[in-house]
Amino acid sequence: MSEVVVQCDQVTRTYQQELVPVHALRGVDFKVHSGEFVSLSGPSGSGKSTLLNVIGGLDRPDSGEVTIDGVGLSGLSEAKLTELRLMKIGFVFQAYNLIPVLSAHENVEFILQLQGVTAGERRDRAAHALESLGLADMQHRQPGELSGGQQQRVAIARAIVTNPVLLLADEPTANLDSQTTEELLALLQSLNEKEKMTIVTATHDPMVMGYTTRQVHLRDGSIEQDAVAA
Amino acid sequence: MSFKLLWQLSVRNILRHKRRNAMLFAAIAVAVAGVSGVNTLIRGMQFDMLDSAVKNLTGHIKIHAPDYRDDPNINKGFPLEQDFAPPVDPAEVMGWAARIRIPAVIMSERETRGVQIVGVDPSSEHISFLGEVPIEGQNLTDSADGRILIGKELAVQLETKIGRRIVIITQGIDGKNREKGYRIVGTYDAEGTGLEKIYVFTGLSSLQDLLDSTDVTEVSIRLNSEPTMLSIKDMLIGAFNDLAVLDWQELEPQAAAMFIFADGAIYIWFVLMMSALTFGLVNTLITSVMERVRELGMVRALGMSKSMVLVQVVVESTIIMAIGVAFGLLGGYLIYLSIADGIDLTSFADGMEMAGMSSIMTPVLQWSDFFLVAYMSLILGVVASIYPAWRAVKVKPLDAMRR
Repeated sequence: MSEVVVQCDQVTRTYQQELVPVHALRGVDFKVHSGEFVSLSGPSGSGKSTLLNVIGGLDRPDSGEVTIDGVGLSGLSEAKLTELRLMKIGFVFQAYNLIPVLSAHENVEFILQLQGVTAGERRDRAAHALESLGLADMQHRQPGELSGGQQQRVAIARAIVTNPVLLLADEPTANLDSQTTEELLALLQSLNEKEKMTIVTATHDPMVMGYTTRQVHLRDGSIEQDAVAA
Repeated sequence: MSFKLLWQLSVRNILRHKRRNAMLFAAIAVAVAGVSGVNTLIRGMQFDMLDSAVKNLTGHIKIHAPDYRDDPNINKGFPLEQDFAPPVDPAEVMGWAARIRIPAVIMSERETRGVQIVGVDPSSEHISFLGEVPIEGQNLTDSADGRILIGKELAVQLETKIGRRIVIITQGIDGKNREKGYRIVGTYDAEGTGLEKIYVFTGLSSLQDLLDSTDVTEVSIRLNSEPTMLSIKDMLIGAFNDLAVLDWQELEPQAAAMFIFADGAIYIWFVLMMSALTFGLVNTLITSVMERVRELGMVRALGMSKSMVLVQVVVESTIIMAIGVAFGLLGGYLIYLSIADGIDLTSFADGMEMAGMSSIMTPVLQWSDFFLVAYMSLILGVVASIYPAWRAVKVKPLDAMRR
């Protein structure tokens, strides 16, 4: 069995919505092994985004423990949690979230600069990441000059350029048309298969689930179904 | 931490809102130019006050009897050797003058006034205003000259003129009055009328003869540069144990207070102008941060530390301030050049004289003042960024991303 990249033990998270408590996660036990491509699906309010945020260290559970690549998150300070996100996790967001004042190449290089990678290595790795995603000709374009699909590919290049142990994608295709969605999913699938990248994506799009190797369905803050693709 | 990254982000963010930031640059530049330009005038006034105080028969340092100032008369004089010279490095001294300065009554055929009669050696008076003022008629020729030089305004008050005789009554060494008739050799025209009404000049040895004394009441020393004053004063105190050695600040406390006030005024003026500006800068930075909350949340999510976010906002503020200050200093220098010949305030000469200044206000450029404005502005730029930076740091990645 390959090593465990993500482990959630009895994770609970409750939000206070005005005076009403909303139980986003109710004692979730969940593991992701290295090399898996997992989709978290479910209706709105099922807890899929909350689970993704908790795994990504963007949100802290009320109880339970989350472990990423052997590191328990509950004992980490905010600074250490930030460092863990930087060094171990790649993020792809629904709204691309590129820095608008930087070019595609600079957006990809940005994360390497945060990691303190030297200028020469940064340049090469960013260029390689963009080339591998078919964006070699668009390196110097600003995000505003790219289509939605191109922006999302830049976001993926930014997420994978650091060789993270885990790639988290929150509804990565929600703003894309179906053809671009298919291209993007093929790209993620390729990363998973060829680079053995561990990917967890929150989605409500059945097309996305079709590309993943494991589908986890949540309802009312609990895992309702956890199926491995045939 | 990569400073290049922070620099890159800060510059690009500034360029993102060109018009807004151009207005801010202009506001900073105008304020800094105004502060710098006015500073040159304040410095000009300050040095003018010093110059006037020093030239007003005071010099940088004066030696006289300890109780002379309480009761200035020839009994409070002291002897000077024939070949006396102040025991000071000649390279430090512009000149020195021995004088008798005592109160007297001056009478013309029509009017009587109280004045100070000053016995001088005209060849030494290049250190005082007497060496600079225009004189109608003639100046005194030497120490033995028994004629009198009076102020133009005093001549008007006495309803007399050059060539006429006046009478001086003053107290001799024996305490008895001495009375002597003097022919008016000329009238001097000081910038204001104050000096003209107070001082009348005659030859030193001539006055000594009248007073039956060989003493002088003061030795005034003018230095080439003011910063050496205290060390030279200490040296003179050692050399003249039984006399009072005072500097111009002790002799002209009002001018000294104004001099110190001018130093403070530069800071007060700066703080007033720049504080108002700082609020504008804070406002712009907060707007800039609030517009980028989602972006800040995203970079925090990706792994940018709080300290980097904070430094980025500070760098952004400092760049804005630095550009504004650079243009402002250039503007200040141009303002200085445009008024370098001085502003003519002759119409207000009497008022200016009361304030201890001349009627031409000449700006003085001190690069240290420019540097002061520059680095204090940059410090303000950093201070102004603290609250916006704190707001940026408080952004929680998840909350920001949900916006």
